[in-house]
Amino acid sequence: MDKPLAAPVALSVSAPKKFQPRQDWKRALVYLVLILGAFVAVLPFFWMISASLMTLGETINRQWIPKIPQWENYITAWEEAKFAKYFLNSVVITLVSLAGLLFTSILAGYAFARIKFRGRDLIFAILLATMMIPESVTMIPNFLMVRGSIIPLPGPAAWKGSWLNQLPALTVPFMANAFSIFLLRQFFIKIPDELWDAARLDGAGHLRFLVQIVLPLSKAPIMTVLTFGFIGAWNAFLWPLLVTTKDTWRPLMVGLWTFVNEAGPETQLLMAGAVITVIPMLIIYFLTQKQFTEGIATTGLKG
Amino acid sequence: MTASQPKPPFRLRWIDIKEQLTGYLFVSPAVLIISLFGLFPIGYAFYMSVFNWNVRKGDFNGLDNYEKAIGDWTGLGIFIAGFLLMGVAYWVWQNALKSASNRVLLVGAFTAFLLLAAGWVISDGWARMLLTGDDRYLESLPLTVFYALGTVPAELALALLLAYALFQNIRGKEFFRMLYFLPYITPAVASAVVFRTIFSPRETSLVNQFIGLFGIEAQKWLFEPKPLVNLMFGTELEGFFAGPSMAMVSIILFGVWTYVGYNTVIFLAGLGSIPPELYEAAEIDGANAWQSFRHITLPLLSPVTFYLALIAFIGTFKAFNHIYVMRVPSAQGTVNVASVEIFDTFYKSNQYGYAAAQAILLFFIIMALTVVQNKIFGEKVFYG
Repeated sequence: MDKPLAAPVALSVSAPKKFQPRQDWKRALVYLVLILGAFVAVLPFFWMISASLMTLGETINRQWIPKIPQWENYITAWEEAKFAKYFLNSVVITLVSLAGLLFTSILAGYAFARIKFRGRDLIFAILLATMMIPESVTMIPNFLMVRGSIIPLPGPAAWKGSWLNQLPALTVPFMANAFSIFLLRQFFIKIPDELWDAARLDGAGHLRFLVQIVLPLSKAPIMTVLTFGFIGAWNAFLWPLLVTTKDTWRPLMVGLWTFVNEAGPETQLLMAGAVITVIPMLIIYFLTQKQFTEGIATTGLKG
Repeated sequence: MTASQPKPPFRLRWIDIKEQLTGYLFVSPAVLIISLFGLFPIGYAFYMSVFNWNVRKGDFNGLDNYEKAIGDWTGLGIFIAGFLLMGVAYWVWQNALKSASNRVLLVGAFTAFLLLAAGWVISDGWARMLLTGDDRYLESLPLTVFYALGTVPAELALALLLAYALFQNIRGKEFFRMLYFLPYITPAVASAVVFRTIFSPRETSLVNQFIGLFGIEAQKWLFEPKPLVNLMFGTELEGFFAGPSMAMVSIILFGVWTYVGYNTVIFLAGLGSIPPELYEAAEIDGANAWQSFRHITLPLLSPVTFYLALIAFIGTFKAFNHIYVMRVPSAQGTVNVASVEIFDTFYKSNQYGYAAAQAILLFFIIMALTVVQNKIFGEKVFYG
């Protein structure tokens, strides 16, 4: 039972080769390539952190390391750019979007994998086709939609049928996507039928089977969906820029962008701001990175 | 759940209906949201694109918006005909290779002639379109092509190199993989903050210090609208053949930095799925490292490469964030790729209907590219 459920790609398997002394220089070359790559990948992060602790003078003269770390840059940036508010906004937006995303994609992924209903494959194909559509096309009608210009949208009377500057505008469009459904469906489809037969004999319906048997087996793909969802929601920029004209629900990315345009030459503050926006992303990534990278590798591949 | 049985006679049984209803119920939340924010907008964008629609809906104006962008329908026709001619050239050449006739030289000359003719037709059509069309929009298209051609091949080559190196028996593989992936998950706005200082025109900026090591004088990078080729060789080229501006090249480097890690991870998985016996057999037959890379790794990896190239190519045509946040006024629009231009039309000039038409044209281009890429490279993919 374990076997078909385990991630099938051998990420940790290497080409079995015997170590030969005369291949030393080859290995040295391999490490050189890898270290060079890592250096280029990490250098901007190093620079971001280092510059965020400098004085203005130091950033202009491009020192590599600040003489005395200026921790108060973070406090200044945090206060000047109203990051406290934006940060909280982003957290709420991300959590709400993720909850919705999990709910819709687990149910849909399960149905597309394990329930037979008329038009199933057609609906699935149409959903997948939406992945190809550029945001430029959907952005304009969606903006009108969220503004309530096409149909009045549900909400408190004070919103007057519009979601502009309101939480749903920033969350609802992110609550479902074809990619997450596809990813989960690919996993659910591999769950052996015997489990379902046994569950049905015990009188379980689809919902109970899904909650009690399927979900506990599916931690890895769910983590992948969550992490991708997190990246999407936390890093979202274009859409929030359009639908937040006031700072009521303005997320961190738009806040940082506004700050970039306002703070001008105060590089050290910008860098501190950038670090603040990146840290939550990094924490989530370090916590989930193993399942996440393997999730991408396996699902990104076997279409 | 009884998929393997032969078709049962159609009967309405409560349990079947219940199964069907459960299915619809389960997919309905996702289908509702995706229909509302993913499907409906496509139809509505078409609808908007045939109206004179600035903030508020105006009069129906047929294809005026499209004409405003394209300029000249005949020009467009000629332009497309040029590409079709190119397709014919490709087809002729493929057939010649298949039949392995001894007239390869002749066919080669014929193909070359066809290609030249196609190039001439394309540039003629393009010139006609530029004459009356929207320069800003039309010029954003070759800029998009520059961005795509600048990022995708470099990205894939570097990713393959890194993945191949990672795949050798090395220590700290997972550590390296994690580091390579960092740029991909970093928000574009935050990494742009860093890259804008790295590529700043100051003499002390990181890239200027770096090229200074090779004795090259400081450059303006993101602030430089002149084509890179002209700056490097002192030429005075103009138009498409001058290539991307230095500002665009800076953004391309930013794009490559962002996406290499993602491709590396997928390449690495692809390498892992190649059976090690093949390498052992090759080694016994006396193949060296390059030969087994060339004749085992590359062909067996081609489905992955194809998949990544397709995703990356479509991605670059849709790319917005990474370019928008790196854009400075001094670059004088030489970095305005199609999606950025559409955004400006919509957000800055408030021409909603026209922006919708521009977006739909971009959508058609992406679809055409996908089909072509499938046709040309899809055939070369080796599925084992």
